[in-house]
Amino acid sequence: MNFSLPSWPANWSRQARSSATMAVAGSVLVLILWLMAIPLSWAPEPIGPSASDFAEGTRVTVELTLVAGIAGVLIGFMAAMGKLSKVAALRWLASTYIWVMRGTPLLVQVLFVYFALPSLVPSLQLSDFASACVALALNVGAYNAEAIRSGLLAVHKGQMEAAKSLGLSNWHTFIDVTFPQAMKVALPSLVNNIVSLLKDSSLAYTIGVVELTNVGNRVQAATFQPMPTLITTAVIYLVLTTVMTQISDAVERRYDVEGRQP
Amino acid sequence: MTQPLIRVEKVNKTFGAHHVLRDVSTHFNAGEVTVILGSSGSGKSTLLRMLNRLETHDSGVILLNNQEVGDDPSSLSALRRDVGMVFQQFNLFPHLTVLENVTLAPRRVHGTARTQADAKAMELLKRVGMEAHAHKHPFALSGGQQQRVAIARALAMEPKVMLFDEPTSALDPEMVKEVLDVMKQLARSGMTMVIVTHEMGFAREVSDRVLFLHQGEIVQDRPPAEFFEQQDNPRIRAFLGQVAH
Repeated sequence: MNFSLPSWPANWSRQARSSATMAVAGSVLVLILWLMAIPLSWAPEPIGPSASDFAEGTRVTVELTLVAGIAGVLIGFMAAMGKLSKVAALRWLASTYIWVMRGTPLLVQVLFVYFALPSLVPSLQLSDFASACVALALNVGAYNAEAIRSGLLAVHKGQMEAAKSLGLSNWHTFIDVTFPQAMKVALPSLVNNIVSLLKDSSLAYTIGVVELTNVGNRVQAATFQPMPTLITTAVIYLVLTTVMTQISDAVERRYDVEGRQP
Repeated sequence: MTQPLIRVEKVNKTFGAHHVLRDVSTHFNAGEVTVILGSSGSGKSTLLRMLNRLETHDSGVILLNNQEVGDDPSSLSALRRDVGMVFQQFNLFPHLTVLENVTLAPRRVHGTARTQADAKAMELLKRVGMEAHAHKHPFALSGGQQQRVAIARALAMEPKVMLFDEPTSALDPEMVKEVLDVMKQLARSGMTMVIVTHEMGFAREVSDRVLFLHQGEIVQDRPPAEFFEQQDNPRIRAFLGQVAH
């Protein structure tokens, strides 16, 4: 669902309107994370007394999403470059990584990083939060790789030829010509992946990370009131994903030079 | 007029079993406008694209300013700075404005300051009649307008030679003239040009020389008056009859 929250003045440029939306949505997200315990504490039992737990759990969920999301985009970018590389070994490495991460359940991956990895490599004894970040980043990275790869492949060969014929180096051809066009194509899929990641971060619950779902379930178990606690949990996720899609829609609109979006 | 800027010696090229160019030797002089004609598949675009290494050659030598055209990165980028190219499909960068399209290469390759690059670009856009559209994106322009911007973009690098790969073939008929007019003006300014085209009227009026390729070989190399008026080769006469001029 798309709430076009504020209607910016019609005489603002598309970029100005997008930037304004990004700034507002970003501030809203920060305000929510900072102050959400206050309105929650006004809620009746069993939510009110656990307001600060819900707020803390939400912050952990957003942290998981941000850390794993940023790492996941970088990993996805590297895997996409690997899969398109001229070096066969890199192609094989990237394909194997994507194959394994997309072909196994995220829950198994989370459990594997937390429980199995330390027995393989004792120095990799990570905290529950770090383990969840690693598993989530590796997982979303595999999906991002496919999104970025299809973006790179969507750039017409003539674009690279034009850039080369102007004497641009391989680096500038990539950074100024190929990459911006590829990202524009990849962006909607990347956003999709990050929104999924926000929800998938609830699997961190299984290794004891006290994130939003974990908080909701603890309160539910302690008060025997599943209805209000799980609804509160779900509504908080919904608010977070809504704010996120507002930001990503604004990013998409900002780069929509052809004005194809209404 | 007589100093060869580009020399092509015994160049061969195959795509799989298809022998696209066979022992092609020719030269292109500074200040000369050469039109390459031939039916589709004759190798004319391949020959053109080899001149700035968008296509590799299997054997033979191509020299530009006595520098061999090859894969060495530093000499290749030097080569491409001296050779401008205009494509059939324009290939403007869709995410950049007209002005940014024209200034990108000077800024990145020569490190020209933005204000200076902008001023130069506006001058070039004026020359091709596109200065009023400098802040638009390519999608907002007609094909003819895009191609004129593409010419300005190539000129921004101050090339010694301009290559045109069927520059009007993707255009609606009413837009062909505006592009040809810009090319004529460029030819009159003394620019060295190598043009693959099917515009016979343009070839006859503007070129100093016509090359005719057939099945990867240069069949004829003549001044346009002779080529068009006193054509004695039956195959070329048939070709000229097919492309109504």
